[in-house]
Parts: sequence; C-alpha cells; structure tokens
Amino acid sequence: MTPLSIALNLALSFAGLAALCLAMDRHHRAIAGRGQTRARARALRLAGWAALAASFAAAVVTSDWNFGPVQWIGSLTGAALLVVGLVSYRPAWIRPAALLALPLALAAALLA
Amino acid sequence: MRQGFRQSMAWLHTWAGLVTGWVMFAVFVTGTATYYRADLSLWMRPELRAGPNDAIPAAERGIAYLKAHAPKAMAWYVSAPQPDRPVIAVYWMDSLEAPLGQAMLDVETGAPTKARDTQGGDFFYRFHYELQMMPALGRWIVGAAAMILLIALISGIVTHRRIFADFFTFRRDRSAQRGWLDAHNVTGVLALPFHLMITYTGIVTLGVMYMPWGVTAAYKGDDLRFYVEAAQTTTWRPAAGRPGEAVPLAPLLARAQGEISEPLEMVIVNNPGDANATVVAVFEEPHGLAHQHPQIAFDAASGSVVERVEPLKPAARVFTSFMGLHEAHFASTALRALFFLCGLLGAATIATGLVLWTVARAPKTGEAPGFGLRLVRGLNIGTILGLPIGMAAFFLGNRLLPVDLAHRATWEGGVFFGAWALAAVVSLLRPHRRAWTELGLAAGLLFGAVPVVGALTTDRGLDFLAFDAAMLGLGLALALGARKVSHYEARRQAAKAARPGPARVPEGLVEA
Amino acid sequence: MRVSKVLPVTDISGPLDRARSRSGWRYRCAVAARVGLAAFGGYALAGLATAFLSLTLPMVRSEAVATATLISFAILAGAVIWVFAARTLLRAALGLGLPIALVGLGLWLALDGVAMGPPA
Repeated sequence: MTPLSIALNLALSFAGLAALCLAMDRHHRAIAGRGQTRARARALRLAGWAALAASFAAAVVTSDWNFGPVQWIGSLTGAALLVVGLVSYRPAWIRPAALLALPLALAAALLA
Repeated sequence: MRQGFRQSMAWLHTWAGLVTGWVMFAVFVTGTATYYRADLSLWMRPELRAGPNDAIPAAERGIAYLKAHAPKAMAWYVSAPQPDRPVIAVYWMDSLEAPLGQAMLDVETGAPTKARDTQGGDFFYRFHYELQMMPALGRWIVGAAAMILLIALISGIVTHRRIFADFFTFRRDRSAQRGWLDAHNVTGVLALPFHLMITYTGIVTLGVMYMPWGVTAAYKGDDLRFYVEAAQTTTWRPAAGRPGEAVPLAPLLARAQGEISEPLEMVIVNNPGDANATVVAVFEEPHGLAHQHPQIAFDAASGSVVERVEPLKPAARVFTSFMGLHEAHFASTALRALFFLCGLLGAATIATGLVLWTVARAPKTGEAPGFGLRLVRGLNIGTILGLPIGMAAFFLGNRLLPVDLAHRATWEGGVFFGAWALAAVVSLLRPHRRAWTELGLAAGLLFGAVPVVGALTTDRGLDFLAFDAAMLGLGLALALGARKVSHYEARRQAAKAARPGPARVPEGLVEA
Repeated sequence: MRVSKVLPVTDISGPLDRARSRSGWRYRCAVAARVGLAAFGGYALAGLATAFLSLTLPMVRSEAVATATLISFAILAGAVIWVFAARTLLRAALGLGLPIALVGLGLWLALDGVAMGPPA
C-alpha cells in the first residue's frame, strides 16, 4: 500500500475511465467536436474496461486481497473525479492526459 | 402502476435528505477531519515534540501517577506515547456511571505535561458521533440521522435511474438547477461505494448500542460477556474486597511483548490494589482490516497469565472489519488522502442536495419566498459555511487563548460553537446570496489566518507545512467560492435590469 | 412516451401526493402516519429479528449475535423503504405487521426453548 502502488492504481483507473467517457457519444462529441463510429466506441469501451481490470489486478498484487479492493475503489473515485473535472472545464486535455497516464502507470509499476 | 415506486422513492429521498442533511453534513465534515486526528492533535499541542517512546517505562510512569492520584479507582488505563502523540495519556474509572478521569503526562518525567490544555483532534472525533452533547443523547441523534441518511442513499439510487449514462455528466452551462442536480449526482455517484460503506459501518460501529436486542436475548443483557466471547476484550474479574500486593509491572509487560510482535499500546489495571486485580496488556492492531487488539491478561498478584484474547471468528471478523473500514487506521498516507477526498465528496453531496432543495423551490421573480424556504436557506448557509467558520475559529482559539487559562479546553469548544452560532445568526439576517458571499469570504479569511497566527504565536517554524498548506487551500477554496457566488449574483442583477420580468421557464421540469 | 420524459426533478411524491391534492391537513396526517409506522414498526421488526436470529442462527452465540446485529440495520432500512413504497397506508401496515407477528411468534418459541434449556 505504498504511494507508488496507489499512483499506479490511479493512473490505470484514470486511463480506463477516460476511455469509457470517450466511448460515450455525448462526451465524445463535446471533447472531439464530432461523432464517432460504432467500432471505435466499442474499441474504446473495451480498452477502458481492460484498463480498469488491470487497475484491479495491480491493486490486488501490490496490496493483497485485504486492502487491494478498498484501494481500487478509492482510486476509481479519485480518477473519476479527475475525468469529470477535465470533461467539464478542460475537455481538450483529457485525451493527452489519458495517454500520458499509461507511461506513468508503467513507470510506477516498474518502481513499485 | 400509475404512481410508481420511483416517485415514492423520489419523495422519500427529498425529505429524508432534508431532515438529516444538516446534522449529517456536520458529521461528515468533522468525521473527515478525523482522518487527520493525530496531525490535528500534534498541531494543537505545539509544545510537544516527538521523542523517545519506550512503551514499558512510560507505562510504569503512568501507573505510578495513577497510584498517587486515583488509588480508589475501579480501573486504570495507561496509553503509551505514540510518534504522533508524544505524551502518556492516563485515564481512570471511579464508577461505571461517572465520566473517565484523565491526565496527560510528560514522557520523560511522568509529571503532568506542560503542553496547553486542549482536546486536540479528539474534539472533532467526538463531535462526529456525539455532537458534544451528553454522550447517550448525541449518539442516538447521530445514529438516527445516519439511518435516515442510509434510507436517503437507497432511495436516491432508485430515483437516479441514469447512474451510468450520466456518470461523467456535469452540465454547468445549463440552468442553475441542472448544474446543482448534476453536481449532486456526480459527487454522490462517484463516491457511492464510500457513502454506503461509511454510513452503514458508522451505524454498525455503535450497533450494539442501537440494536442491543441480540445481546439481550442471547446474553440476558450481559454485553461484557458478549464482547469477551466475540474476542474484543478480556473478562472483568470482580474485586475480592481485600487488598493485594501486585508484582512489578515491567517484567509482566516484557513477557507479554515477547509473545506479540505488535507494539504495546495500552496497559489496563482492573481493581487496582485488590487481591483480585488484573493487568491487561493491549497491543496495537495488526495490519489488517479488522479492528481487533491482541490482549493478554495477568493476575496482578501472582503474575500468571489469566486470559488471552482469542482469534476472531468469521462473523466477529466481518463485524470488526466494518469498524476497521470506518476508521481506516490501516490506510497509508496516499490511501488516507483518498478516504479524505471521499469524505469531502460525501459532505459535498449533502451540501449540494440541501441547496438543490431550495433552488428547486425558488419563487418566481417578484414573489416573496415563504417562511419554510427562508428557514431552509438560512440553515443551509449556517451549516455549510457556519461549521467551517467554527472550525477555523477553533484552530485560531487554540493559538490565541492564553496558555494558562483555566478550563482552556472547554473555552476552545466555546470558541467553536460561538463562532458557528454567530455565523448562523448572520445567515438568517442577511439576504441569502449576500450571506453566501460574506460568510464564504469570512470562512476563507479565517482559514487563511490560521497559518499566519500559528507562525506568529509559536516557534515551530516549518514543522507544520502540510497543515498550513491544507489551511491555505481550504481558505482559498472558500474565498473563491464566495467570489463565484457574488459574480453570479452581479450577472443576474444585470440581466434582470436589462429585460424586466419575462415569464420564467419552469426549468428542470423536463428530464434530459 | 413524451409523458414519461416530463418529470419534476425533485419532490415527486407517490401515493402521498394524491392525499396532498385533496387537502393539506390530510397530507400531513398521511405523512405523519407513515413516518411513525416506519420508525416504530421498522425498529420493532429489526429489533425482534435481531433477538430471534441471535437465538436461532446455527452458530456459537457470539457469532449469532454479531451476524444478527450486522444485518439488523439492513432489515430496518428495508422496512422503512417498504412503508414509503406501499400504495396505501393499510398495505404498508399489513406488510410490516405480518412479519412482526411472525418473527415475534418465532422469538417467543425460541425464548421458551432457551428457558427450558438445551434439548437432551
């Protein structure tokens, strides 16, 4: 339950939730200014859930079954708040931020 | 089904939320502050510095003090110094009814500490489940309010049917009511697991008090027996009624420490001075969710082990894990910050819900607001801003009240309630948007003043950087919020002057 | 389908609203009756269920008490939701009274069993 393991958790949850947000037509339109194909939305949704699953796995691996789920749920709340803040106030930042979160997660995973 | 389940639940959510909102807002805010109870206590006793915290010599000093000052007590409790609480805290029980006596002792000398008399972070901790009332009354009020909040949460989930579709939605560009509703939904939904968890586990933490009928039926009301069988405490041995000589304490504690790897947290002496006295060594919780302290009880006269607290059985483990989740003692710095954030979101959910109630009932232009609406508006401001004002005043009082003032800790509480009451009166007297602006600014200034006053009145330099940063952050957030309200008000006034009296669209009546 | 989309955001009352449309006084009485039923009836059901389960769950008694106390608040919450969801006050009262009677009877039998001691 080190800060690094939580950083890893937060980064993965954020990337996942940002992808899920982009997969929703209303938000995609607001962020990108245009609609998207069905296939793209499905791919984003898949990637989003995969990242959330990876986040859960990371939490359980780094903080065991006792605290892992607690930490995962906490990271979901923190990351979702960040996504909502960006979508509402700085929609253009969300895609770069989500892409940046992935190497950050990798770095945290290597250090943790 | 014409008048459906969802409509009933919407009604229930609205009114359950309103009646419980003010109390639960205060409980959430002070409870959230309690995640940093130890840090608040350290800040509020600037005379103390972290030092050596050898538990066994400290316990001996504590017992020596109690021998001299409370020889007739039924029980003594000595709490070992911790890195975040560098004092020996001693408590004694004169009778089952009387409140515990207590004293704080210097770690080195065992004499009463020179640190200022204050409740520290314990003030908010106790407030969040007793409201600083008579304990029984306060606990029942908080329990009932928490139960109503649980109902409001469940009915709120039923009412808000677009939980996933609106998961990320916060429309601040639409009507005021839509914005408040979105804010209420987002803060509620994003931390929903936390809200449900913290409310239910909070009720469960005092569950045996609220719902004693299981203990009544299965134990004929002997709750001590229940706690012993549930592996929460050791058996209370009745006094023999004749004096007894106790063996030296330190070797007993050393033997206990030899069995258990966790640090010693507390030493309890039951029936001190009696032939039947027991010494209980209580250790810190092992790292885990469950709230259970390893304990070993010795016969004080012979030094033989009387009892060891057993491992938890499954249901007791779940029960104590609920308590552990509520307290989050296990949380490291980063996870604690997430719990803190969730607590703030809980307070924000309640606050936005309370405001939403008034926004949805705002009178049409030209109509005067009714008594009910004016009252709710006033109470909203008095609670949502009055409580932070009280808290900031409490911190300032800690630094500004004379250190040698008699009953100083009580005065600090008085400052808290006095400032809060003053803010509440102002909020009822001023026009409500003005009151939001003015009191928000006042709260911001008070929080901003805390680090300044702290630096001027103590010589601790940069020891409290994190605390100071938190105070500045809170102050800034409150002041910015106040500015936003005043800008909004100015725009509204300008718009009203430009085109007088158009019929107001009943906005918010149409979903989606 | 238009109709289902038009929905007041807050204060949409179900059964209670119909009473309100008739008279304010009646509405208040209906609300007071439901609140009273929810608070006292709900607590009675939860309390009786806690006592009943503490005596009858097939576990060590401390485990039975812990389990029963843990779930008692969920029972209370469920009972309150039921009282406010039921179409009429009578249905709410019957739906709460019947389980209270059953659990009360069960508790009475269980207490009898305790008084007579464990079966040989």
